[in-house]
Amino acid sequence: MKPERESSLVEVLDRLLDRGVVLNADLIISVAGIPLIGLNLRAALASMETMLEYGVMEAWDKSSRELYARQEAKIPLQLDEKIIFKAFGYLWQDQGIIKRWVPGVWNVTSSRLLLWLRSPGEVAFEMSLHDLSMRRVFSNTLQRKELELLSSGDLLARIYLSEMDELEAAIRGSSAVALTETI
Amino acid sequence: MSDEARYLYCIVHSTSAAGQKESLGNIGIEKQAVYTIPYKNIAAVVHSCQPVPYHSKDRTQAEGWVLEHSYVIDQATKRYESILPISFDVILREGDSQIEQWLGRNYEQLWEQLDSLRGKAEYTVQIFYDYDCLKARILMADQELNDMQKRIENESKGKAYLLSKKLDQTLKRGVSAEAGRLVEESLVLISEQSDRLAVNDKPSWIPENFRDKKLLASYSCLVHKDKVDRLGEILDAINSLQGFRVRFTGPWAPFSFVDLQEMA
Repeated sequence: MKPERESSLVEVLDRLLDRGVVLNADLIISVAGIPLIGLNLRAALASMETMLEYGVMEAWDKSSRELYARQEAKIPLQLDEKIIFKAFGYLWQDQGIIKRWVPGVWNVTSSRLLLWLRSPGEVAFEMSLHDLSMRRVFSNTLQRKELELLSSGDLLARIYLSEMDELEAAIRGSSAVALTETI
Repeated sequence: MSDEARYLYCIVHSTSAAGQKESLGNIGIEKQAVYTIPYKNIAAVVHSCQPVPYHSKDRTQAEGWVLEHSYVIDQATKRYESILPISFDVILREGDSQIEQWLGRNYEQLWEQLDSLRGKAEYTVQIFYDYDCLKARILMADQELNDMQKRIENESKGKAYLLSKKLDQTLKRGVSAEAGRLVEESLVLISEQSDRLAVNDKPSWIPENFRDKKLLASYSCLVHKDKVDRLGEILDAINSLQGFRVRFTGPWAPFSFVDLQEMA
């Protein structure tokens, strides 16, 4: 019996997204000092209907649950606090000379919005949902919509993620939050 | 903070081009120019990119990227002695010289892995069974069960029902015992030809022509090229058993057998 090179797209995806994980995010950080996570594509792939057809969701589900379980174990949650929504995204950091987009995972919990950095395992930004309001703004430099987070009218942060609608919906679902559209 | 970044496909062992930067052509994701960053006899295979992960909600585009990544790994496998495949969307936010230093800092660990993979490749072995076929065979071989089946045909409805339940259960036990035996025996034989073996989770996809069967076992095997033929013969023997089918694919880059930890 000769081995065949025949392989489905799903199997290639499996290898490169699941089994091929030979360098973990921790290593990338040790190289670069900055995490760059290939999480978003996995999410994009996993949400595909065709994947459901092939049954790849099962595998995705398992690996993503494991991945999230690892993350959840680390995010310090208060009693009764639950994570409602997660999405890969960025936070704009402007500290004098250091201006950059910090990549991480945005988490909406039952009481907070926070950016979790899987490595080194810290909350880079957090705010209570209680007095959070948001507005969408258009970035001319990057030609995209970004989100501004405000607390009692004060601008606290500027963030970006592709699942902006979903984030807003999660926050809206979690508590009454004022949403203003400025575009 | 520099805006320089490198998309990493794999790390390779190259004797012929040790210490030399090599160009692999525009074979990368979105036709990016792929090249090597060497350190001694190992090298990182990269393309230069923005420090932003590949991200798309468009399925076709995302799949295309993964296939392009896979293609680079295939090309590197053909070209170099051994490779450590990297998963999709790993980007190092550094330039060539920092990555070279990183290879240097982790040289021993990387080299040890690359050296241990030389001449070997990963193969997938999946064993399927056909329940009805095994059931029929057990029924045929066992006089007692045969008699039971005949009695069912002649008994009253109630008794026939109970008897057929009993027969079904006995057959189910028989099939799983036989399948279990085959897994145990074949695992020994397959392991003997493999340097390393990993038991896979339930695969996310089964080819059309195997879908009428049940998956019994799925392994990833790291096999030396001199042992592939022998493994094929062993699998042939399993495949020719009535009620069993084998799917054998490869060679693949050693995705399941690279273990990089605690890199500096």
